[in-house]
Amino acid sequence: MKKTSYVVVTLLACLVLLITGCGNSGSKSADKATQNGKEKQVLNLFSWADNFSPEVLAAFEKKYNCKINYDVFANNEELLAKIQAGGAQYDVIQPSDYMISTMTKLNLLEKLDKSKLPNTANIVKSLQTPAFDPKGEYSVVYTWGMTGIVYNTKYVKQAPTSWQDLWNSDYKGRVILLNDSREVFGMGLKKHGYSNNSTNKAELDEAYADLKALAPSVLAYDTDTIKQKFIAEEAWIGMMWSGDAYFTQKDNPNIAFVIPKEGTVIWADTFAIPKGAKHKELAEKFINFMYDPKISAQNYEYIGYNDPNEKAREFHAKEFLDNKILKLAVDKVAQGEWLKDIGEAITQYDKYWTELKTIK
Amino acid sequence: MQKSWRDSALLAYALAILAFLYLPLLILALYSFNDSRINAVWSGFTFRWYASLLNNQRVIEALTNSLIIATISTLVTTTLGTMAALALNRYKYKFKGVINGLLYLPILIPEIVMGLSLLVLFSQTGIALGKGTLVVAHITFCISFVIITVGARLEGMRKDLEQAASDLYATPWQTFRYITFPLALPGIIAGALMSFTLSIDDFIISFFVAGPNSTTLPLYIYAMVKRGISPEINALSTCMMCATISLIVISQLLQPQHKSAKK
Repeated sequence: MKKTSYVVVTLLACLVLLITGCGNSGSKSADKATQNGKEKQVLNLFSWADNFSPEVLAAFEKKYNCKINYDVFANNEELLAKIQAGGAQYDVIQPSDYMISTMTKLNLLEKLDKSKLPNTANIVKSLQTPAFDPKGEYSVVYTWGMTGIVYNTKYVKQAPTSWQDLWNSDYKGRVILLNDSREVFGMGLKKHGYSNNSTNKAELDEAYADLKALAPSVLAYDTDTIKQKFIAEEAWIGMMWSGDAYFTQKDNPNIAFVIPKEGTVIWADTFAIPKGAKHKELAEKFINFMYDPKISAQNYEYIGYNDPNEKAREFHAKEFLDNKILKLAVDKVAQGEWLKDIGEAITQYDKYWTELKTIK
Repeated sequence: MQKSWRDSALLAYALAILAFLYLPLLILALYSFNDSRINAVWSGFTFRWYASLLNNQRVIEALTNSLIIATISTLVTTTLGTMAALALNRYKYKFKGVINGLLYLPILIPEIVMGLSLLVLFSQTGIALGKGTLVVAHITFCISFVIITVGARLEGMRKDLEQAASDLYATPWQTFRYITFPLALPGIIAGALMSFTLSIDDFIISFFVAGPNSTTLPLYIYAMVKRGISPEINALSTCMMCATISLIVISQLLQPQHKSAKK
């Protein structure tokens, strides 16, 4: 009996050592990287999946003799939760526009030292100081795009010009709206010439009444598999982000894209450094590196989004620069309005959104 | 006449249920061989998504993370779980029922609650999220399964073999080493395979406690879906499914089979 208990105790002791050993080794190796210059530095990058050209990341690793840990999140709220939990030590994060203002309010972001990021001066003027970060202190725009009308020229003979064209009864059952309340109501508001950040109940009611009338024609409220639906020609017309439209067109040449005359939503994913980032210096080097004209040309052609880098134009392939959809977004950038935090009014949006989605 | 009608109705019903369970998986697997970038249209047979998976460094990294975490947590879980099962099976002590109940509880608690509570625990105690926290979390939810499988095996074991060993002057250690352990081994292996599978597959709990450099395969797949479903995801899911199914089959084969033993 005694022997068994002895064995058990030793086993237990071993296990405890093993577990604590594991826990320590993780944090130790991270620390070692910063303390010892000879050891490889580590950059903990938290971003969307497949958001960089692998070659560009490899080039950065080589140039600065470091290792990039590229972890992924699927939405902004997940990112916020991880950063708020504080346990995670990321060095570079990629919140979308509205999340920057939320995180700034919660004091979760480091102020960027622009002198360390000289290449970010290459970003087009209109994206230097966007509404969600009016002084450009906490974020720099990485990818951006606009919401527009995507349509299949086989079924939609006359090119749409206005959001009103979604209401055309010829397209009944073939319309897709994004699965996002702010986008959809923003569209409804824009259609009447209001701001897509409107907190005026009367204006919102007007938009809601219109959307209610459209609801029976809607095939789906969809964001994630919207591309498939257009490629397979299940859907004929709908709202789509410019970047997605670019991809859809590659697989189905009948796809076309317009920015309606009433204006629309403009959005961006950004670079930011969370408060207390352990490898801030390397994070700054990374952000700066991504806006090197040559590098960014290579990177954006891989990811297929508009390059905000003005100096990169000369390095881009003609095809990329001449792509109609990407060009359209650049030309119409002034018609875009950023979605802002609308505070309490969001509850009214949510209420209408729920009601809207139950109509069939 | 009526009976045979009933039989065939029952058979049809059973087949319908099976189809409901497995058709989506089959379709998912089928489209991983589709030559088109989109799931909607079938345009020919190809292996290229599997090839491009192998060339995707992020996928390989996520897979490595998953394997490391699953291996460590399986080793720890199996050892701890087997010891716990032995203790629960052999000894009588106060509040045995309560302790038993507490050990089974992690199976019943919704995963999301467990994930959140672990996240709160780690962030309150200032433990950095990463592979370490993932391993601890996986051990926590896998251990009950090992205790149950090993416990079932021990329950079905005859006591007379151990008693015979003691009669022949075997020390307790010898009895354990040469009698108890070999007899319990199928249960232990089954438990280990089970916890390996659970760890590889887990999404919800991992979602909460993952940190830098610890993106596991399920987390990666989830994030990839947000970018639009490509056949690469189908290919990856198919691989995971095959691995999981084979592990489950092995662990089922090793489970103690009461019925056949009694016959």
